[in-house]
Amino acid sequence: MLVLEGVPLFYLELAIGQKMRLGSIGAWTAISPYLGGLGLASVVTSLYLCLYYNIINAWSFWYLFHSFQSVLPWAACPLNANRTGPSEECERATPTQYFFYRETLNISPSIEENGGIHTGQALCFLLAWVITYLFIVRGVKSTGKVVYFTATFPYVVLFIYLIRGFTLHGAINGIKYMFTPKMEELANPTTWINAATQIFFSLGLGFGSLIAFASYNQYHNNFERQAIIVSLINSGTSIFSSVVTFAIYGFKATVNYENCLERTRILLLNTFSLSEDSITIDNVFERIVELNTTHPEQFAELNGKLEDCNLESELSTAVEGTGLAFIVYSEAIKNMPLSQLWSVLYFIMLLMLGMGSMLGNITAIITPLRDFKVLSCISTEVFNGIVCFICLLLGLGFTTTSGNYWFTMFNDYGATFSLLFIVLIEVITVSYIYGIKRFERDIEDMLGHRPNWYWKIMWAGVSPLLLIGLFLFYIINYIQGGTPTYQAWNKDLGKSEQIEYPLFGQAFIGLLLASSVSCVPLTALYVFCQRRKHAQRHMQQHTVNTVAA
Amino acid sequence: MLERIFIFLFLPSVLAAQLCKPDAPEGFKVRLSIKTALQDEAYEWDGNERFLFQATLAFAMGRHTGQEFNVSNILVCDETPRVSFWFVVTSPDDPSQLINRGKVEAAVRMSRNRINSAFLLSDETLEFVGILPTLAAPVEPASPPWLIVFGVVMGLVGAGIVFLLVSTVLQKRRKKNQEGDEGDDDEEARVKTAENGCRSDGIYNTSFSEDEPNTQM
Repeated sequence: MLVLEGVPLFYLELAIGQKMRLGSIGAWTAISPYLGGLGLASVVTSLYLCLYYNIINAWSFWYLFHSFQSVLPWAACPLNANRTGPSEECERATPTQYFFYRETLNISPSIEENGGIHTGQALCFLLAWVITYLFIVRGVKSTGKVVYFTATFPYVVLFIYLIRGFTLHGAINGIKYMFTPKMEELANPTTWINAATQIFFSLGLGFGSLIAFASYNQYHNNFERQAIIVSLINSGTSIFSSVVTFAIYGFKATVNYENCLERTRILLLNTFSLSEDSITIDNVFERIVELNTTHPEQFAELNGKLEDCNLESELSTAVEGTGLAFIVYSEAIKNMPLSQLWSVLYFIMLLMLGMGSMLGNITAIITPLRDFKVLSCISTEVFNGIVCFICLLLGLGFTTTSGNYWFTMFNDYGATFSLLFIVLIEVITVSYIYGIKRFERDIEDMLGHRPNWYWKIMWAGVSPLLLIGLFLFYIINYIQGGTPTYQAWNKDLGKSEQIEYPLFGQAFIGLLLASSVSCVPLTALYVFCQRRKHAQRHMQQHTVNTVAA
Repeated sequence: MLERIFIFLFLPSVLAAQLCKPDAPEGFKVRLSIKTALQDEAYEWDGNERFLFQATLAFAMGRHTGQEFNVSNILVCDETPRVSFWFVVTSPDDPSQLINRGKVEAAVRMSRNRINSAFLLSDETLEFVGILPTLAAPVEPASPPWLIVFGVVMGLVGAGIVFLLVSTVLQKRRKKNQEGDEGDDDEEARVKTAENGCRSDGIYNTSFSEDEPNTQM
């Protein structure tokens, strides 16, 4: 995916940005006026991303601030009203899940039920936006300096975690799990769609942020080398961080598995009243079989309570996205000695990464907007402040009790489809409408040499075909999938369950998908009408001139 | 005569056997996990330990009710290798009368700590099945600690923003003063406004925009 899609498209976007020296709207309008909508679609997608992405930073702040306690709040359940035991919801779920769903989010049972704003969340959200403003207040100049730190610090933390991860008990299980390929998953096209989307997200393709950043480059900057280096480093980092993640994951799975065995052992001891050293963790399974044969009636009573302890299933409880970062990792961290230190380190790293992403998103919106004459008269600081403030107000909706469900909706549907569409149109435009030869000449003008045959084949042939294939798969998957569902937290059961989106939810999803994609045809139509009006006026002027002459 | 002596001798134990049995209505099951709690320093459960248990229970009952209980009022039975057993409490006035379950529970709850420490165990490792321990109240600091950290960070960030904005304003003022000293240079002014991005001057040159949207390939 990286080789076939990532690097060529990255190169393409950098070239466009550096050549046109305008944000995404201006750049695409310059290539062809009918395609100004492409830039607009990028801006709309980036806007959605800006709105919902900062809530992740707010959660990171919340967890970070709560790490400064002697006992991490997600390590133990809070007590119930009469202090006889842990609270029921926490009992049925795990303490980390309880902390995330109840104390961090105060989540409502479904997307329809709305409560008030969670003040702690709102404060952290405000802080996230204030820091974003601090980083972009001077424009790209300040952003450039900030990124020196936000980009390098996560590597330091990842390295520390790598050492820590490998010394943890059971980490090797996770690493083994990561490196054993699962053939059924690889054959599933959804995996490849996810891989493609991940590459787009990871490299920032289609958002307009690359075009925006490249437009500030010097004209003769050697972006070819930068494109290759950055993409390779990006993927190298992904692999590195997934090694670390799986090491920690293996540790968590092993700890859970051993706890499960311990609980089973105690259950057996209590039911059969055997002496304590007759069953150890190692021979739990043999003893189960033994006891089943020797005392079948007593064993039958156990049937409901006996858990199935399986290391494989612990490793396979794949939680993805925000769940991985906040629930799974915090569970792993609470089991480490000196957990406060590891927690602080981890969440600072998440914050650095999140803030770095936010900078790209915000710049992708601000740069095209500043290309318009009307808005460019306002000073940089005030303009950036206004944009941040508007996004803050709109994003406050994500801090309500049903906010997480809206967040998931934006996350799943806001960007994926539009990214695929935007990138596909980008590649086709540059290859066929603008012309590969003209593009080559532009690059030669900037760099001093033509791009070699590999790039041309990618841009003109392989990438568009692959993208069309992915696009079709995505649409077919979506149609075949039936009504879209989401995971709602059920506090009585203590677990998430799939619920269908209500009608207004589905309508909103449709709106999200359509709004960014439809920018392209709508703008083309608008420009077409404008041209016709101009052409008619031009005709009239011509006739006037000829008459006058 | 001899039979009557035998009956009198065995009556208490017979009565005891009848009063204390598994699932006795006024009895409680106790479970100890000595090896889990103490590992290498675990002690064996023998008659002396049982005696200690009876003594601590008698102490607990006495403390709660105010009556004086004797070790013989605590009847223990059905011991298993797990180290679990049932016990009932008889009234000191009438050994055939059992003390109400609720009273026993209240007494145990009140002195749970003392009973635990007598055996070097804790609430989890010395279980009274059916009596839930009263867990320690969580330590609630006066102001939540996270707010303190939040306040610190917010303050620093706010200070940073104010500093940057003020320095920008000062820079602009300084530049304007410099410009005033050097005199109005038209070109310079246009360059400056172009730098700020405000293209309010200059006429939009239409010659390149009208006819050919795309240059022919």
